[in-house]
Amino acid sequence: MVDRLVGLICALLGAGAIWHAQTLHVPFAADPVGPRVFPTITGGVLILGGCILMLRPGPVAMEFGTWPRALAVLVASLIYPLLLLPIGFIAATAMLCFVAALAFHARPLPAAVSAVGTAIVFFVLLDKMLDLPLPRGPLGI
Amino acid sequence: MDAFAALLTGFQVALTPLNLAVAFAGVALGTAIGALPGIGPINAVALLLPLCFALKLPPETALILLAGLYYGSGYGGRISSILLNIPGDPGLVMTTLDGYPLAKSGRGAAALAISGIGSFVGGTSAVILMTFLAVPLTRLALSFGPADYVALMVLSFALLGTMSEGKAVKTWIAVALGLLLAMVGIDGGTGVERFTFGSLELLGGIDFTSLTIGLFAVAEILFLAEGMISGVVSRTGSGARLTFREIIYCIPAMLRATGLGFFLGVLPGTGASVASAMAYTAEKRISDKGTFGKGDMRGLAAPETADNAAQTGSMVPMLALGIPGSGTTAVMLGAFMMYSITPGPLLFTQRPEVAWGLIASMYIGNLMLLVLNLPLVGLFARLLLVPAWILYPGILALSYAGVYAVSNSAFELIITTGIGVLAYILRKVGIPLIPLMLAFVLARLLEDNFRRALSLSDGGYEILFSTPTSIVLWLLAIVAIGLPLIRKPKLHPAVIGEAG
Repeated sequence: MVDRLVGLICALLGAGAIWHAQTLHVPFAADPVGPRVFPTITGGVLILGGCILMLRPGPVAMEFGTWPRALAVLVASLIYPLLLLPIGFIAATAMLCFVAALAFHARPLPAAVSAVGTAIVFFVLLDKMLDLPLPRGPLGI
Repeated sequence: MDAFAALLTGFQVALTPLNLAVAFAGVALGTAIGALPGIGPINAVALLLPLCFALKLPPETALILLAGLYYGSGYGGRISSILLNIPGDPGLVMTTLDGYPLAKSGRGAAALAISGIGSFVGGTSAVILMTFLAVPLTRLALSFGPADYVALMVLSFALLGTMSEGKAVKTWIAVALGLLLAMVGIDGGTGVERFTFGSLELLGGIDFTSLTIGLFAVAEILFLAEGMISGVVSRTGSGARLTFREIIYCIPAMLRATGLGFFLGVLPGTGASVASAMAYTAEKRISDKGTFGKGDMRGLAAPETADNAAQTGSMVPMLALGIPGSGTTAVMLGAFMMYSITPGPLLFTQRPEVAWGLIASMYIGNLMLLVLNLPLVGLFARLLLVPAWILYPGILALSYAGVYAVSNSAFELIITTGIGVLAYILRKVGIPLIPLMLAFVLARLLEDNFRRALSLSDGGYEILFSTPTSIVLWLLAIVAIGLPLIRKPKLHPAVIGEAG
């Protein structure tokens, strides 16, 4: 079942790629092939692969562990870029690491301590020692 | 140039203080990262890749660091396999078979020692083979035309499909997805925008570092968060230490494994995981008297030696042909390209300091690793005691910090996470990531050669099959595509089809 769905999505993606390739207009002919042929062939491979998968699906063992933990890490990762510039590397990274540490079964207090520690260590290592500027935030540390 | 003379100039590069320090940092970090459960060579290289660029290291220095990480992690990986019974990556499954029983019987220290020696023998012999094979191989490659290159790359993809444990068609889907992702951005030949959907950020294409970090760091952490890897750390043990006689006893096994590992490493598409599996199986067939799987030293030495020989071997086609043989060497090829260096036959004549400096550094790195891994192995084993909730959040933070440092853009972090989610879904539905990575790196080269060939023939497709070399390569590719239809490759079931 999973394979059929994956196959369908791949075939649609392939068709989309081919359709997109045909809309490309080249102002002048630099070479006889142009930018269209390669995406068209690739789209063809994708359609072919998708169809084979739809017609002859195999068993897929979709094993999920405690996926809410992965989701928590993901949400924290998506918020992280939004906070990075406004509140600075140390605060944003500490929050990211705090959520991630909780997801990895830490208790709140040790998680908070290790998160702040990790953020400070990386800031000192990257910004101060290796001279790679990281966002400093309002505190301007 | 004579290989000895060239190697000497290489040592002049590798022995500068900066490069020595970087080689040491690379192998030490590689051992440490490789020792962590769930984190393998490709993750190690991906993690440090953005920092290399952000620090603006010279190309040879960056590559010495990345290569050190790569073969260093091959040494480190055995630690968690032996002490925890958890292989860090598919190439290490075989190490657990005889390594863990040895650790349980109290001979953990001896097991770590023999596998360290095996890694050294495999790694160093493979570097020696590489020193003498690389230049002849580049001569062969110099005669390659664009059509031959197209056929060679298709053959690489085909071999990946053959060797994968899952359905071969999923490998082809992964290759196509990788090629499409690589096409995003401005077409080099005509300046036309492809797959940008009007987005300014996508004009420059998908950044290589974001892709690697997304595929091999973010997705990995999501997987690890979902199902905790747990295990009880065996003590290194108080049992008898490794004796000299035991080392001698293992030497024939190591030499056989070196040859097999190096050969399989050089072949495109097959990497360390296949090599160690085949070396173990072969050694079991040759010398098993009912002791394999219960803690036979040779059963541990063979896969460890083959693993490291294959890692080094897979760098040969990457350097000499510009076609990587495994996922990790594909990341390194991407690193070359970010420095605007094209690996391949011309690398050895045009940028000898890069090619030979790298090779020379691998002699030094393997020696450093022997010293690091025999007396100091206990230190690395301690890393297994660091709680997961400190380790993995830290890896995630370092990944994002690296991407930010190289791009200076928060938007790039969102793309990285997006690729991480994509990779997570692909892994769940059984589409392998290594072929996707390989295709992404090779896409530009493949399309350029394809278009160059067709402009030579003014658009006629028959040119793709016009030289003897290309015909042979196409035939091999057809055999490789057809083979899984006839017969499934017989490998140990635990080896997932990811050529490390």
